[in-house]
Amino acid sequence: MGRKKIQKSDLSRWLDRIAQEHELIGPAEDDGVIRFQPVESSAEIAVEFGNSVIPPKSLFFPAAESLFSFHKRGKEIELEATEPLDRDRVVFGIRNCDVQSLSLLDHVFGQDLEDIYYQERRARTALIALACPTPPRSSCFCTTFGIDPLSSEGSDVLLTDVDDVYLVDVATEKGEGLVSLAEDLFPGLTDDDTRQLQPRPAEMKKVDISQLREKTEALWEDELWQKISLPCLGCGICTYVCPTCHCFDIVDVGSTLDGERYRCWDSCMYSDFALMASGENPRPTKRERIRNRYFHKFSTFASRHGTGHACVGCARCLVHCPGGVEITEVIKDILAKEGASG
Amino acid sequence: MGDNIYLPWIATITEVRPETPDTSTFVVAIDDSQLRESFTYLPGQFAELSIFGVGECPVGIASSPTWEGALEFCVRAVGTVTNAIHDLDVGDKLGVRGPLGNSWPTSEIEGKDLLFIGGGIGLPPLRSLIHYVLDNRERYGAVEIIYGARSPQDLVYKQELKQWEEQSDVDLYVTVDAGDGAWEGPVGFVPPFLREINPTPENKVAFTCGPPIMIKLVVEALEDMGYVDANIVTTLEMKMKCGVGKCGRCNIGDRYICRDGPVFSFEQLRQIPGALEA
Repeated sequence: MGRKKIQKSDLSRWLDRIAQEHELIGPAEDDGVIRFQPVESSAEIAVEFGNSVIPPKSLFFPAAESLFSFHKRGKEIELEATEPLDRDRVVFGIRNCDVQSLSLLDHVFGQDLEDIYYQERRARTALIALACPTPPRSSCFCTTFGIDPLSSEGSDVLLTDVDDVYLVDVATEKGEGLVSLAEDLFPGLTDDDTRQLQPRPAEMKKVDISQLREKTEALWEDELWQKISLPCLGCGICTYVCPTCHCFDIVDVGSTLDGERYRCWDSCMYSDFALMASGENPRPTKRERIRNRYFHKFSTFASRHGTGHACVGCARCLVHCPGGVEITEVIKDILAKEGASG
Repeated sequence: MGDNIYLPWIATITEVRPETPDTSTFVVAIDDSQLRESFTYLPGQFAELSIFGVGECPVGIASSPTWEGALEFCVRAVGTVTNAIHDLDVGDKLGVRGPLGNSWPTSEIEGKDLLFIGGGIGLPPLRSLIHYVLDNRERYGAVEIIYGARSPQDLVYKQELKQWEEQSDVDLYVTVDAGDGAWEGPVGFVPPFLREINPTPENKVAFTCGPPIMIKLVVEALEDMGYVDANIVTTLEMKMKCGVGKCGRCNIGDRYICRDGPVFSFEQLRQIPGALEA
């Protein structure tokens, strides 16, 4: 669909035009914290930012959402499914790591018994990705997992910052539609532009993970998991900020007469996550829970869904872990193990 | 299940049969008559039962799909939702979401002799298949049932046990961990009881369900008797929420017990890291 450009000074005009037609969501600052949230106008959007603390998966799989409401009158019970969206949305500023996390979550929610709440949000949301600043943040490692921070794959439009313009890659029909809302702002590239406007390649530390899955699988009994679990507080922040984690709880709110059934993020790092009413707990200590989490990231998600690893290198977990557990170090430890240990 | 995988059907309790002091059978009928007639399931599948305002919990379907109309669930009052279910009476309504999960094999075991080994409320999930087999009697070989509970009063389906006892095409063996004054039958745990009975593995598939420790010792006994892993089938229990393979809770390795299970052969389980640790 081709490459265009937009002057940086024109970006707000385009976004405001979009905001007239759709719900516009973008990175906005709240007390120094960047969050993806609905905005009234482009003035609220932060264009210069690293990434949000909470991943934009929350726009598709919210931290808490109503699934349906229930109403009891006498013996009769009525259920009413909750509508996930009231209008089409456009997300501006999503990074490619987070776009790729949505492609992974699509396998969970979009296949084998579809989750209509997630699916409707996906179908009715366009993604305007913003290529990462170069150099990227020092903690980022998406390229280790084969992700190109400058790629438009999975988004509808990709903007790449080059001097005083953004290169505009329109990747889908949805993207065409957004650009057509302000066609005059998007001149095609001249031959000179094509020569001169070159995105700077992202230099990032990259680890060879071709052996990661089989090495992980060989370490089921290894002492590594015990070692990693020592500084872990079991707080679950790694799972809350992870763009690929999808564990949730289902809870009823209200009374037995009127209320709602909610789906809320949950964490496999919590001690009662798999605890049964009988008292049985298949993952009773942090060792088993940590092992389960890293197996999910590096082995079982991929084997179940036929995808790559369930990590996109966004570095949120390692930045926010109060115990200093760094997934990049875990990967190094796994890869450093010699052969199968049992 | 409908298009919305989280939305239960509304159903009405048509009968409550106390089985033990803490366990009752709830017979439920889905309210929507069209749905009730089109609702199909397989032996071994389960459903999520809802008490709105309290929550949901997974319960195996204890009735046989060969029966029309009503579904049976055998529920022990042990957690918040199961206790709330026990507060319900005939005419009360609840939510039913299902059927969920895979099922016991039914076609692969045609022509085979079948051995059922249950402990406590591990009998209800087996009961669905037992009745399915007895209702399609000509397709299956001999039926042996070994059942045990902590005490005589903890035995579920006492009426049916009596019936199976008298039935010539069923061999029933019942034991209790500890008897009472009136109990005249065998006393002892299920695994040694099974070793004593020593059923031949020839042309036979064994199905077992019960507390994890019982399953573990039963499988050891079966293997000592010459049963191969592919012919030992069990149904697993894990904490579940969504029941549809999304919420990430009930996995063993890369298998979700709610979606890929709950029924697995030991041949399958031996290939999943950690599956046999509990």
